[in-house]
Amino acid sequence: MIPGFVQTIINFVQYAFFYMIFSLPLTLSYRTTKVINFVHANFITYGAYTAIFLNGIVGNTSMAFASLLAFLIVGGIAVLNNLLVFTPLQKRGSSPAMVMISSMGLWIAYKYILYMLTDIAHFYTYKNFVSYGRITYSDIPSLRIGEVNLSQAFVAGMFTAITIILILYLILEKTRMGRAIRAIADNAMLAEVSGIPRGLLINLTWFICGGMVAIGGVVWTSFSGAITPEVGDSMILQVFTTGFIGGLVSLLRTGAGALLIASMENIGIALLNAYLGIPVSFRPFLTFVTLITTLILFPPLGAGGGLPYRFLKRRSEK
Amino acid sequence: MEFRPVILDDATSDETALQNVQSLYQQGIKVIVGPAASSQIKVVKTYADDNKIVIISPSSTAPTLAIPGDFIFRTVGSDAGQAKALSTLAYQEGARKLVIFFRNDEYGNAFADFLEQYLEEKGVPVSKLSYQTGLADYASEVATLASRVQSEGANGVILIAFDKDGANILSHAAESDILSNVRWFISEGPHGASELLTAAVGRFASKVRLYGTRPLYIANPLYEDLAKRVEERFGIELAVFCEHLYDAIKLAGWAIIRAGEYDGEEIRNALVEVAKTYYGPSGWTMFDSAGDKAQQDYGVWAIVSTAEGYKFKDVGVFERGSIVFTEQAYP
Repeated sequence: MIPGFVQTIINFVQYAFFYMIFSLPLTLSYRTTKVINFVHANFITYGAYTAIFLNGIVGNTSMAFASLLAFLIVGGIAVLNNLLVFTPLQKRGSSPAMVMISSMGLWIAYKYILYMLTDIAHFYTYKNFVSYGRITYSDIPSLRIGEVNLSQAFVAGMFTAITIILILYLILEKTRMGRAIRAIADNAMLAEVSGIPRGLLINLTWFICGGMVAIGGVVWTSFSGAITPEVGDSMILQVFTTGFIGGLVSLLRTGAGALLIASMENIGIALLNAYLGIPVSFRPFLTFVTLITTLILFPPLGAGGGLPYRFLKRRSEK
Repeated sequence: MEFRPVILDDATSDETALQNVQSLYQQGIKVIVGPAASSQIKVVKTYADDNKIVIISPSSTAPTLAIPGDFIFRTVGSDAGQAKALSTLAYQEGARKLVIFFRNDEYGNAFADFLEQYLEEKGVPVSKLSYQTGLADYASEVATLASRVQSEGANGVILIAFDKDGANILSHAAESDILSNVRWFISEGPHGASELLTAAVGRFASKVRLYGTRPLYIANPLYEDLAKRVEERFGIELAVFCEHLYDAIKLAGWAIIRAGEYDGEEIRNALVEVAKTYYGPSGWTMFDSAGDKAQQDYGVWAIVSTAEGYKFKDVGVFERGSIVFTEQAYP
């Protein structure tokens, strides 16, 4: 075993929790609404900054309170995006690509709105909100098991990831609402004809997805040592890669994607560095390789339908 | 003469820095204070030279950019000097086997090369480990650093970082038993970053007796005066390079006045002359043949515990080839 490997394993599990929290709602929102949503990055950032503003301005150290507020604010933003931008565009017959581009516009707008908010907060408090240090919360324990320290972020990440998986499972599998959401995901037109209130359920899906990602953002503030208004942007590659591994459809495969990406970024790079001398600065490259491989191998999101898909299709046509 | 500043934010992005320089030039501007980072200076250099735009950076320090005859000036000394101070600090504090953990960019690579050279001259073996910049988090990189420290049997780490990545790395290092039991030395980049003043990083700094170096002319009354005025007006402490920025702006103004006409070549020539006689908060600003600050002193900083929380404090100076501590930073 390479020296310090225990910490690498802990980091792998920690990152897997984060990628699950961020990617499962992405998959659910795409599956239901068919919008490739770049504002997802802002959901992470706005969740983190809800906690940061609460901590920096009013001194809040409760993660539960910050999470609740972040859930409501970001969930609300997600619904507003749908009501004011996505739905009107879809009603006018815009293509999915056009809706995706509109989400890119929102992504940039939200980023600069946040920069303005940090400037305003700085003006009144003289505190630096453009880069904020880690928050130590009063209502989350850290654990020590034997020789291993499990930080607040690990405990909070584990709790949040398990809770989100359970809630999504219960909602989607055990409730009428969940069955209705799945019906919309499978065939929206048919679901609507069957009397399912499509608009209401899509808004509800946005609210749940935005809110869940925001809680992940709050947890991130207990993990990272410097949080900036770009935090969601710098994770979007990993989050989308994780989602693409699940084809933006399967929640189970998205979970597997989170494990794969987290292991590549932690265990993979540690082994490559220790045994082959590959610099750790290659870590983002590994994620990119995984993304490209996924796009090529897995249809329908792969390039031109994915090579094996085209190959199999050609064979089946013969 | 009336000066009208035009301010553009490049967010330390190389591409935006070039766009900004092009945009400023299109507005007829011939003198630019900034950009800040060496990687940005490298990107804008050709455009500035071709169009005779005088660039005065208050914080670019990469030795690789010390090029005579161009339009790039730096009101701070190159890292070739700071590497000497930092390697002396580490050696004097007992580091005999070191891992240099550095940004994989113009600044980090050049700084690490000079450090390696000076430390090996002192007989200190080093192992270099670079990390990619611009990531959301560096937990994975810090785990690899811990692994390298353990496998190499190093008793110290030198971190070459900026503010955000530096704070992030130190916050994760504070959670590592391996990294909490070796000495830490650090470049000027993270100095002044409020994220370093959290309780976790403060305790870590005290435990590992963290010291950093930074360009500083200690006991300069003009520096003290500037620090006091900034604190009164903005409520913040003077961070690294603030005094160099102040002097860059002053020099730009004096050079434009002396040139008599708003022409890049004339202003460049005038700048060299006015810098010979200007003394500001960063000390004597005379340029060397490459357009970098000719005389650069270095101070030693630490993160100390005070009644109001953790604070940055200058606790020593690099003088005649050795570090002289002016006060005790850690118990």
